[in-house]
Amino acid sequence: MAAEGNAIDPIHQFEIHPIVKFSVGGTDLSFTNSSLFMVVILALISLLMLWGTSSRSLVPGRLQAAAEMAYEFVASTVRGTAGESGMKFFPFVFSLFMFVFFSNVIGLIPYTFTVTSQIIVTFALAALVILTVLLYGFYKHGAHFLHLFVPSGVSPFLLPFLVLIEVISFVSRPISLSVRLFANMLAGHITLKVFAGFVTLLLGAGAWSALAPLPLAAIVLLTAFELLVAVLQAYVFAILTCVYLNDAIHPGH
Amino acid sequence: MSKHASDGDGPSNEDKELRSRLDKLSGALAEQRLEAHERQAQETATVAGGETGRALSLGFRVLSEFVAGVVVGGLIGWQLDVWLSTSPLFLIVFLALGTAAGFWNVYRIAAQPTRPGQKNKP
Repeated sequence: MAAEGNAIDPIHQFEIHPIVKFSVGGTDLSFTNSSLFMVVILALISLLMLWGTSSRSLVPGRLQAAAEMAYEFVASTVRGTAGESGMKFFPFVFSLFMFVFFSNVIGLIPYTFTVTSQIIVTFALAALVILTVLLYGFYKHGAHFLHLFVPSGVSPFLLPFLVLIEVISFVSRPISLSVRLFANMLAGHITLKVFAGFVTLLLGAGAWSALAPLPLAAIVLLTAFELLVAVLQAYVFAILTCVYLNDAIHPGH
Repeated sequence: MSKHASDGDGPSNEDKELRSRLDKLSGALAEQRLEAHERQAQETATVAGGETGRALSLGFRVLSEFVAGVVVGGLIGWQLDVWLSTSPLFLIVFLALGTAAGFWNVYRIAAQPTRPGQKNKP
């Protein structure tokens, strides 16, 4: 997150470079720094959960407490929004939450790469959520699932417009879900880097260097704020997933 | 032990009494369970960043839902115009519909905050 050398480029941190070049039939499938951090995230989550649940002591140790807290948190979120029948989606929501949470928080460590600051990653996650909603909705309720788009108790005059509006509103869900996460992470990281750039610029500006601690203090505050945003966005992503899944489980409110 | 006095009335009376007691107890149990559930949900909400955090996330949610509605409406209209070559017609219509969808999204957030009480609807 610190400004790199003499060239101050706040976008540089989001660049993707291949580590192992690899392509199949003209499609670039290189192992990039983004893939590397995804692997790191998965390894950390697996470590936490496997190690944390291995001892199964009645009085939990630190790792077990963390693993249990993560489980309880997501489980109560799922139960609270999608009801008891939403618990069959618990593994899905838990995986999503842990992945987003870890990638957000790991991205705050300097010199790391934030996986969720790439729109394609967040959009893939959101598309996965919406596809699950659609597939499960049609599988469980068949054509009755389409009642989700037909508000009840409306005059037949207005109905076509309202159905169109409902459809647009449904289509906008994966967009808002992915853009919110991506934009929060991107904006936060750029802000941090710009402020870091102020520090180096001020240090090289003669007498003005006395002001350099100001942006530095701002970075400290912003980092705390970014930590809050990172946790919150993971939570919001999980809870909205539950809300959308709730529509698939109980359509036609 | 005063129940021994009613023993003469036969087993049906005692049965009824027991049943009513059982009903009362299980009712109390269910109530307690619900309360514990609600308390847990509240605790979860506090873990997620307290007052400021919740307001912050709600604000971002409202903003992004509204913008997404408008953008999706505009994109659909634009693509329909490209396909049917009716240049600004569908763009304007769907932009208006998308704005309505954006307001509808925001209204839904404002009108129905996700409460743990309103689950398990058929």
